[in-house]
Amino acid sequence: MLGRLVEWFSAPAQWSGSAGIPTRVLEHLGYTLLAVAIAAVIALPLGAVIGHTRRGGLAVVGVANGLRALPELGVLVLFVLLLGLGLLPPTLALVLLAIPPMLAGAYSGVAGADPGAVDAARGMGMRESQILLQVEVPAAVPLVLGGVRFATLQVVATATIAAYVGLGGLGRYIIDGFSVRDFPQMLGGALIVAVLSIVVELVLQLLGRFVTPGPDRLRLRGRPDRHAAAAPSSVPTPPSPERPDR
Amino acid sequence: MIEFRDVGKRFADGTVGLESLSLTAREGEITVLVGPSGCGKTTSLRTVNRMVEPTSGAVLLAGRDVAQGDPAELRRGIGYVIQQAGLFPHRRVIDNVATVPVLQGLSRREARARAAEVLERVGLDDALAQRWPAQLSGGQQQRVGVARALAGDAPVLLMDEPFSAVDPVVRVELQDELLRLQADLGKTILFVTHDIDEAIRLGDRVAVLRVGGRLAQFAPPDELLAQPVDDFVSGFVGRDRGYRRLGFLPATALRLVDLPTRADANGDTAGPAVPGEWTVLLDGSERPAAWLGPDGARHDLGSVYVTDGDDAAADAAGTLRGALDAALSSPAGRGVAVDGAGRYRGGVDTDDVLALLDRSAPR
Repeated sequence: MLGRLVEWFSAPAQWSGSAGIPTRVLEHLGYTLLAVAIAAVIALPLGAVIGHTRRGGLAVVGVANGLRALPELGVLVLFVLLLGLGLLPPTLALVLLAIPPMLAGAYSGVAGADPGAVDAARGMGMRESQILLQVEVPAAVPLVLGGVRFATLQVVATATIAAYVGLGGLGRYIIDGFSVRDFPQMLGGALIVAVLSIVVELVLQLLGRFVTPGPDRLRLRGRPDRHAAAAPSSVPTPPSPERPDR
Repeated sequence: MIEFRDVGKRFADGTVGLESLSLTAREGEITVLVGPSGCGKTTSLRTVNRMVEPTSGAVLLAGRDVAQGDPAELRRGIGYVIQQAGLFPHRRVIDNVATVPVLQGLSRREARARAAEVLERVGLDDALAQRWPAQLSGGQQQRVGVARALAGDAPVLLMDEPFSAVDPVVRVELQDELLRLQADLGKTILFVTHDIDEAIRLGDRVAVLRVGGRLAQFAPPDELLAQPVDDFVSGFVGRDRGYRRLGFLPATALRLVDLPTRADANGDTAGPAVPGEWTVLLDGSERPAAWLGPDGARHDLGSVYVTDGDDAAADAAGTLRGALDAALSSPAGRGVAVDGAGRYRGGVDTDDVLALLDRSAPR
């Protein structure tokens, strides 16, 4: 079995052409990106506004949990029956999958911003939109990124269903392999999905470190972080508890 | 000037935050609102910048009803400091302080220049400007909070328990800093605290509130200590009020006595200047260093009485409290008096302080 798996991976045809692994991976990532992007456009602003106003939080939790309980394949079949074949039904099904974690991340991130900072912002004369964009959203970034990452992983793993309705992506190997009982092909497809998930997770984690505002951000160039080497101030207050260097 | 006219606040659930408060915080003074929790002091403060909208009455700022116009616009003209400092964790210190100037329409460069000025003014080192709030101590964060409130150059400052969350030593430093800044800037400050000592230390006038936001007494701190209007106020100002009031009584008429003194040479084992008496050892610049006991041993000086300190840090300078404390804390039974530069001036006799106290006490 292992030998046949290696054989499957090492066949030259596997690495080129419209049915090759690179093409399938790109297709797969394409479906993922499309679904996550659409879901983000819907879920992130909605979650942020609900988190800011604190209105409708219960509804969010209910809807998010409800969406999570939907069987993905059933949803896909339903959309195909309603809308016919094409890119739209699987994309919609994946969007429904991606919305709950991003909605929850944006909501809890914004709602969890330091109440002192929000009170100070309002007291200094920031308008509600400025409070949301300049104080709450930056505070929410880590949780939002967590939601985006979780949603993306789920979509990467689930985008195989696109192959059920005649589209490409890594699901092709699994479905085609299943129909002709070509188990090395099925296993190969599943392995690629798993590896792709891990790679996507790592890339997103790294990207997240660059876009997180504040002291934890990774910086490639520019201002050296002076605090790391800063001499103790002459201010007669106790020295600040330095955080471990990052 | 901040004027409360019959300001009342009834919350949506029916609880009464403020019954009907009338009070005037005078221009250029620190007015302190003090009282037990639930007395509505924070609620009153927050009606000034409309963080709380009163359900009755009006708040006037420089004669103008704050309820008119845009609240965000109003708030940009009022400095605001809160207990947790409320710094933005994702912005460096300098950009935190630049917040209000940016809101007022300054460019980022101008706002940062303004912020750097203010940071220096509140005694924060230049190196701290590029740090993140999480890298500062509680006291430093609070200083940044004050700097941020000053950066908008507002004539009015609202301070809601700004120093309650820091330790007592840092709190006193921050209080001194505020008094020093206030001597320079002359802002109209409304200051909320639950700490009567802080109220007495900082306030030009102190308003004591009861639960429900009813004003119990509104008076300068020495009057509050000398003549509390009722049991609530006297209970609130505490048991030591007689002693604390000494801090408001000048000791200008206090006669200093002569003490035996001697230069303090290192390793010197010579006995007291006058046998059987306590001797003050003076260093090379005439500053008292220690007591030399009749037994020939060195003793700690105790606290000294500063006769004419103009430093806000020595808040008991030139007062009966400082004089009495020097006398009581000295091992010799007599206190040592120094001038503003720390040079030896004479001795303080407990009996003289008490005699002076006897004459100045209101009957």
